[in-house]
Amino acid sequence: MSKNFLLSQYENDKKFSVQHNYLEQQFSDKDIILEKIKEVVTRGDFTLGREVDKLEEAFAQLVGAKHAIGVGSGTDAIFLSLRALDLQLGDEVITTSFTFYATIGAIVTAGGTPVFCDVEEDFNISIAGIKKLITDKTKAIVPVHWTGRPCEMNEMMEISEEFGIPIIEDACHSILAEYHGRRTGTFGITGCFSFHPLKNLNIWGDGGIITTNSDEMNAKIRLLRNHGLTDRDHCEIFGYNSRLDTIQAVVANHLLGKIHSITDARIDHANYLDRGLSEVPGIRIPHRVDTIKEVFHIYSFMAENRDALGLFLRENGIDAKIHYPIPMHLQPAAQYLNYKKGDFPMAENAANRTISLPVHEFVELKDLDFMISKVKEFYSDDKP
Amino acid sequence: MTNLKVPFVNLASAYKNDAHAISIAIEEIGNSGQYILGSKVKTFEEEFATYIGTKYAVGVANGSDALFLIMKALGIGPGDEVITQPNSFIASAWTIVATGATPIFCEVDETLGMDPEHLSKLITPRTKAVMPVHLTGNPVKIDVIQELLAGTGIEIIEDAAQSVGAKFNGQRVGSFGIAAMFSLHPLKNLGVIGDGGVVTTNSDKMYNKLLRLRNHGLIDRDHCEIWGYNSRLDELQAAVASIRLSKLDTNTARVRKIAKKYSTELEGLVITPKSYGGSDPVFHNYIIHTEYRDALQSYLHAVGVDTKIHYPVPIHLQECAKHLGYKVGSFPICEYQSTNSVSLPIYPELSDKQVETVIAEIKNFFKTVP
Repeated sequence: MSKNFLLSQYENDKKFSVQHNYLEQQFSDKDIILEKIKEVVTRGDFTLGREVDKLEEAFAQLVGAKHAIGVGSGTDAIFLSLRALDLQLGDEVITTSFTFYATIGAIVTAGGTPVFCDVEEDFNISIAGIKKLITDKTKAIVPVHWTGRPCEMNEMMEISEEFGIPIIEDACHSILAEYHGRRTGTFGITGCFSFHPLKNLNIWGDGGIITTNSDEMNAKIRLLRNHGLTDRDHCEIFGYNSRLDTIQAVVANHLLGKIHSITDARIDHANYLDRGLSEVPGIRIPHRVDTIKEVFHIYSFMAENRDALGLFLRENGIDAKIHYPIPMHLQPAAQYLNYKKGDFPMAENAANRTISLPVHEFVELKDLDFMISKVKEFYSDDKP
Repeated sequence: MTNLKVPFVNLASAYKNDAHAISIAIEEIGNSGQYILGSKVKTFEEEFATYIGTKYAVGVANGSDALFLIMKALGIGPGDEVITQPNSFIASAWTIVATGATPIFCEVDETLGMDPEHLSKLITPRTKAVMPVHLTGNPVKIDVIQELLAGTGIEIIEDAAQSVGAKFNGQRVGSFGIAAMFSLHPLKNLGVIGDGGVVTTNSDKMYNKLLRLRNHGLIDRDHCEIWGYNSRLDELQAAVASIRLSKLDTNTARVRKIAKKYSTELEGLVITPKSYGGSDPVFHNYIIHTEYRDALQSYLHAVGVDTKIHYPVPIHLQECAKHLGYKVGSFPICEYQSTNSVSLPIYPELSDKQVETVIAEIKNFFKTVP
């Protein structure tokens, strides 16, 4: 009686002609990676080995941060950042309600109480909203660069400085995204990235990385991720086990060489869909801003009659997804926090009305045209 | 150390044997698109549960997380006490701290396992669980511990990180408590090529909770029942674990043969491993005790035999444990062992000739001491 719902999800995903999942195409050249894995394993270099060092150095440079630390997952990246801030039970952490569960799971695991904030038109956390939520107990703010679109970081950092509250950027969607020419993951005390298999820079399992310009955070997180050990025999602080596998670092290093072209392809595909869909009645594309660079981990827009559109697209072989239909404050897990429907109208509206289409690097022009035509067809009067 | 005659581990040769099967598995994972918690994990979980003899097995990110998640599933948190051993790896303690509970250490005995008599004195109304460690793959006195805790409501969580396949009275460890943790770390008897762990349990309630806790608390893609964690065994590592589980008994037999040879030849010169009656250890490590430990280790190193110490500083004397109030002398047996123990190389790929070398060099060393 396995309740692992992912198994049926995988089977279902395979049915689409325009898929959300692109692993089969991406790893058609796996032999290069396998050769390197063989080298690693032959050295016996399984945890935190040289390939992890190499990735950390390259990733820090790519993002423009002083340090990068490989960890077990994007979730753990947020969790370890909060632990490194010595969050105490009951401390408040302000975050967006329109995010993936992991943002909240990490806060709660770290001992924090999540304080939810509404979003703006761009689906990102509302700066004005944050200001109203700050209390004596606020110990951190975790903005999410949702879909790969940077938050308003200038205003965010002003709040951080004014109130002395550190920012932990949930940059799991936003590798290479830029705000006024500066990459996400370099604004806050840490930036948290995910290498989950369907992220822009992905591996063959779970993994993540933390960026920071703080030597102190760097040193502390390195201790925390590896049992608090200063060497094999000495434990300075009780820590955790959250390490990026060396063999997964091999995969990440391989794809790091392609990250610019992967990102460019996503941006091109998104721009193409923007042009094709902007005039369609019933659809509202997020307003694009030229001071930021979005990297479209998710390409989503508001759609009237969203659920029917999703059904129609899926019937036509397009893996349209909802990211995600229920905002965090209305999840069963959040009941103890006593939020209710209507508390965050923008987040709730986004959850009710957004829909996402695949824009990964293996989506072809014909797929894009097909998606545009099917969306148009749905909203046209002569729909069958 | 490439000039070692007898290295402490030889992971490369184990990988060479499995490289082809692993390559095929990676291809299958790519083609299936099942990147997280897919059919490889499911298959391994079924195989592992069958092997241990439990109703369920749940793959997680590593052994430490396995302990942590079991305790979270039991609702253990601030104000609770969990009893474990001070001679274990540090994760046995930090996982307790991570839940918010307080680790309480229990003295060990000649098996390196928890001393039931001392355990009986440590139980308080706050005790929520006892985590005996089958250290080196040597089963603890589990029947005595079970008897002691019967009817108290205190759960047994087996720390079976090093003891996959070990038995007590014919029953595999990992099936005695409410749940057990196994580590699949590369250096373990059943090791993968990165971090991995697995929980075994007979409890439906524990199983269902773990499925949620390891995957963000999700009951399906869109509904989050409890704020959870992200702690999943990678598909790739599950595939490696399955490949290696099929060879485990053969490997264990070889390791046991080496241990028997060591014990036969070295008894009298050093204190060889002692097992509890009815138990069938698997020798993740082969630990001897001698008051000449440091000299012996230097000698062996000089002649090309690599040894290790598991572990030279017990947990209660670590910097991180200062606030818990223990001191030198808190656990005399544990402390004696940590200053007198040394682990000899033991793994399936170790040749008879290498085993002979280790024995001969230890005998040579003892010719030099009075």
